[in-house]
Amino acid sequence: MTETVLPTRAEKRKFKMDMRALAPFIALIILIIAGALINPDFLTASNLLNVVTRSAFIAIIAVGATFVIASGGLDLSVGSMAALTAGVMILTMNSQGSADMGTLALGMLAAIALSAACGLANGLIVTFGRIEPFIVTLGTMGIFRSLIIWLAAGGTITIRNLELRELYRPVYFGTVLGIPVPIIAFLAVASIGALILYRTSFGRHVVALGSNEDVARYSGVPIWRVRTLTYIIQGICVGIAVLVYVPRLGSATPTTGLLWELQAITAVVIGGTALKGGIGRVWGTVVGAVILELVANIMVLSNFVSEFLVGAVQGAIIIIAMLVQRSVHRGR
Amino acid sequence: MDSVLRAENISKSFGPIEVLSGISLDLKPGEVHAVIGENGAGKSTLMRILSGHIAPTKGSLHLNGQPITFSGPVDAEAHGIVLVHQEILLAPDLTVAQNLFLGREIKRYGFVDDKAMREQTRDILRELGTSIDPDREVSRLSIADRQLVQIARALLVPHKVVAFDEPTAVLTPIEAESLFEIIRKLRAQGVAVLYISHRLNEVKAVADRVTVLRDGRHIATRDIEGLEPLEMARLMVGRDMSKLYPEKPETASDQTVLAVRDMAVPGFVENVSFTLRRGEILGFGGLIGAGRTELFEALVGLRAGTGTITLDGKQVHFRDAREAMAAGIVYLSEDRKGKGLLLQQNLRINLSLAALDKFTRGSFIDVAAEETALDGAIKDFDIRTRSRDLLAGQLSGGNQQKLLLAKMMLVEPRIVIIDEPTRGVDIGTKEQIYSFIASLAAEGRAVVVISSEMQELIGLCHRVVVMRNGRVAGEVAQDGLSEDAIVYLATGVHEERAAEIAAGHA
Amino acid sequence: MKATALKIAMAAGLMAGVATGAMAQQKNVTIGVSIPAATHGWTGGAVYHAQETAKALEKAHPGLKVIVKTSPDGAAQANALDDLTAQKIDALVVLPFNSDELTDPVRQVKNKGVLVTVIDRGLKDPSIQDIYVAGDNPGFGRIAGKYFADTLKQGNIVVLRGIPTVLDDERVTNFEKAIQGSGVKILDRQYANWNRDDAFKVMQDFLSKHPKIDAVWAADDDMALGVLEAIRQAKREDIKFVVGGAGMKEMVKRVMDGDKMIPVNVTYPPALVATAMHVTAAHFYSNAPMRGTFVLNAQLITKDNAKDHYFPNSPF
Repeated sequence: MTETVLPTRAEKRKFKMDMRALAPFIALIILIIAGALINPDFLTASNLLNVVTRSAFIAIIAVGATFVIASGGLDLSVGSMAALTAGVMILTMNSQGSADMGTLALGMLAAIALSAACGLANGLIVTFGRIEPFIVTLGTMGIFRSLIIWLAAGGTITIRNLELRELYRPVYFGTVLGIPVPIIAFLAVASIGALILYRTSFGRHVVALGSNEDVARYSGVPIWRVRTLTYIIQGICVGIAVLVYVPRLGSATPTTGLLWELQAITAVVIGGTALKGGIGRVWGTVVGAVILELVANIMVLSNFVSEFLVGAVQGAIIIIAMLVQRSVHRGR
Repeated sequence: MDSVLRAENISKSFGPIEVLSGISLDLKPGEVHAVIGENGAGKSTLMRILSGHIAPTKGSLHLNGQPITFSGPVDAEAHGIVLVHQEILLAPDLTVAQNLFLGREIKRYGFVDDKAMREQTRDILRELGTSIDPDREVSRLSIADRQLVQIARALLVPHKVVAFDEPTAVLTPIEAESLFEIIRKLRAQGVAVLYISHRLNEVKAVADRVTVLRDGRHIATRDIEGLEPLEMARLMVGRDMSKLYPEKPETASDQTVLAVRDMAVPGFVENVSFTLRRGEILGFGGLIGAGRTELFEALVGLRAGTGTITLDGKQVHFRDAREAMAAGIVYLSEDRKGKGLLLQQNLRINLSLAALDKFTRGSFIDVAAEETALDGAIKDFDIRTRSRDLLAGQLSGGNQQKLLLAKMMLVEPRIVIIDEPTRGVDIGTKEQIYSFIASLAAEGRAVVVISSEMQELIGLCHRVVVMRNGRVAGEVAQDGLSEDAIVYLATGVHEERAAEIAAGHA
Repeated sequence: MKATALKIAMAAGLMAGVATGAMAQQKNVTIGVSIPAATHGWTGGAVYHAQETAKALEKAHPGLKVIVKTSPDGAAQANALDDLTAQKIDALVVLPFNSDELTDPVRQVKNKGVLVTVIDRGLKDPSIQDIYVAGDNPGFGRIAGKYFADTLKQGNIVVLRGIPTVLDDERVTNFEKAIQGSGVKILDRQYANWNRDDAFKVMQDFLSKHPKIDAVWAADDDMALGVLEAIRQAKREDIKFVVGGAGMKEMVKRVMDGDKMIPVNVTYPPALVATAMHVTAAHFYSNAPMRGTFVLNAQLITKDNAKDHYFPNSPF
């Protein structure tokens, strides 16, 4: 094949990049149009804000999952980790008793510290134990889940102090300039995530590791450190998600965070990150999380899907969303 | 004699780019027809058209004088045209017999008949002159044996034309010699053999006729009689190639930069000691599997090993490649696709990966600086690419090697270790890589070249250390450099004997 | 089904009788208890009651040994049954994960001459069980439905269902039967998996979809909590009340305190495990052998009787 140097113009390059990253957004727009056709109430500001706010936990967790998956790993423990973190956070605040900012800050600190430690544990076992991440995190998933059941003795861990509950409540239900706080939180997390993944050498190392571990090793990438860090980032994201989650219902139960790991992974994949690693798309992930929540919302708002078939239609919509993406890829 | 397969005025375009234009070629029964050309000359495309993998844009194929079009490689195989791929395309966890019959299993009452397949495998392998166990898993075979299995798999179907794509790229001289015996046997059976190779000496040894391609055009078809490798090279490149190797730089000094004592890698290397001097090119010769790669991987911390490493008089130990790079030592893997480059990523990301710190401003990567570096690398290393947005995996072998060199030079190393610098690289690019290696030494760096090509070691290096079975078999100084000297140390026998052994073996 | 079908409204009376009758005897008996692990509020309550009852029974009857084993799924429960049999139990109290999977494992235990008490979910072959203690799922739905029909008389409600199971179906079908003919109309129904978070989301969407809702049947107290939070966020005044179920202590407390949004609750006590254990122990320590079916009727908890159903120490 004849290979000649053809310098491409900068604008053309940029356009191509945009098309690929835009694919999940296009799927999102199509869903919104579909939703509006099904029920006019869908397009009300309150409904849309509800949906996007609800997607915040999964979106924040999925930003962390983007790092883990882009580096070629997997974390199945995030749902259980969220439940355990929420439980420990509430227990910490209950042990303080007083309804002031100090108690709240202590609880938040405990949550972030615990979830980061859980992530560190996952990371160290994966790297130093040289065990498949699927198995490691399947194991810790069970451990974290059992710990929360044990802490709750099978029941519910609730913020006992009602004043504290009211003090904390705005973190989920409050707004800043009309935008719900959870939305601001997940936009912030996604922005920082995108900055780290796209603009730092750590982010570049994550992608290199996911592309080909051997090449990364031969290129002097500190693979153990990078891999462990991805799990810690995942842990911290779970912690942040919990900070937003706890004020909603003020409690943690053994069913908190059930199947969140699968939702997070689905959001990551819908967003265009390769499940085998090597490509990471933070903004796509966020859109993926919103798409998941939108699909559930449209199901409830629609009148023609029997409650028995909701799961099937949801599954079909997710697959169609992926197909839309693929066709956009190809059409580029 | 009439041709069995004939191509007439074949052209092939991918989009607006024409990669083959107006090629004619005929293959006669009982001849070995070599197709040579630089990477990108269109050899592989031609081969893929002849074996039915892709259809030509213009022109026609004739089988036994009848025009024919193939619907795909399976169709071409049904017509007796088989291709032995350059890459090993076998399932590593299946046995030899299972691989041979993969997708065409012999069945008995609806179940696979392992016994019959094992018998047939044994027969065909014996015909090829080897006694590989049909029940052995392919992952436990040597590269050369895998190549034989691949050939056996191709020859399993009734064949009139057998095409070999760079079959000796991974073989030692002895193994290559037995392959030539197989090819000669095929020729004696009246089969037409199409042979693609970079190694002009081999072409001279095995081919009857040679077709030369350059830039997708047909340059010449000649009988091998009176066609010497140097002339083939001139036809391929379009200019005089008598000076393939640069002058050896006169910078080799007595100043030792690196001294290695009693290096050992469990299972691969024992008691290896050597020194490397400033401004010199030190060759490492030996057969594949002699432990050269493992030795240097252990040296730079990529695998576990023991021994004393002294760098500039100070004892050092590297736990990973990062530490070695920080000390100014880089290792360029022989396995470019598996360990050198991220094939799924673009050139920019590949280029800066090893020296990312140099492109970081504050906490963030300076993409503009990366782009500038890529411009520089494309220019300095003459990386030829259709577009700079290409993925590394879309580059040809030679351009991948240039990109890998550019990537590692960004680390600004003082010691450069290059493993098989020209494997899978065409002759024009080889010349560029050789002169680049010489310039590294001329700048005062120390260079180690690990190579299985004798000519390369002789033409390029000041000294050559030869390894055999994980130990240093000896060292050849510049004055004494000859193929025979290296082969003797590498195998323990002289060159003519090696050919005889191979012949007896086959 | 056994001819001597007993119906007991309250376990308490029986418990008292058993305790007095047992004092005199000293007899070595081992009872194995196999129940699902505490994975959600109700099962958590069941585990709590099983453990408390085990302690109480062992104290009341010297010589009695009670082994409580919890299992996370049906297959694990089958293994647990093997383990219990190996410990030479005289009686087995089992709350099966599901009928199909566990019928044969329980039959094997029975064939070893062990007295079998089945709780809540019946086996496919009722002849295996010596004693059957069940919650009243149809009644659970019927009583709630009757309350809606009587109190609301006229209006639109939404329904949150649990996890698709026979149990859930019995509740909902009977709820629908009970409101038939009244002016109460179900606007919408959706699964929320007996889960607070899911109930919150479903309720948010119901609120977006329906401009006027008069009341909500959440069918479970965990779900009711999620529903209440969604209503509070939307600041909707049209919803008059929410009815949950199963007698979670927080919700019973709110009924007791006269919360207008939570006027009533319907019992489906996890304590039925305790009842089953008492009945089984009574078989060995009272004079009359126990056989038959015991159904714990669902009850409406109102402000007046709430204190009888309030167990502040239970995790549920």
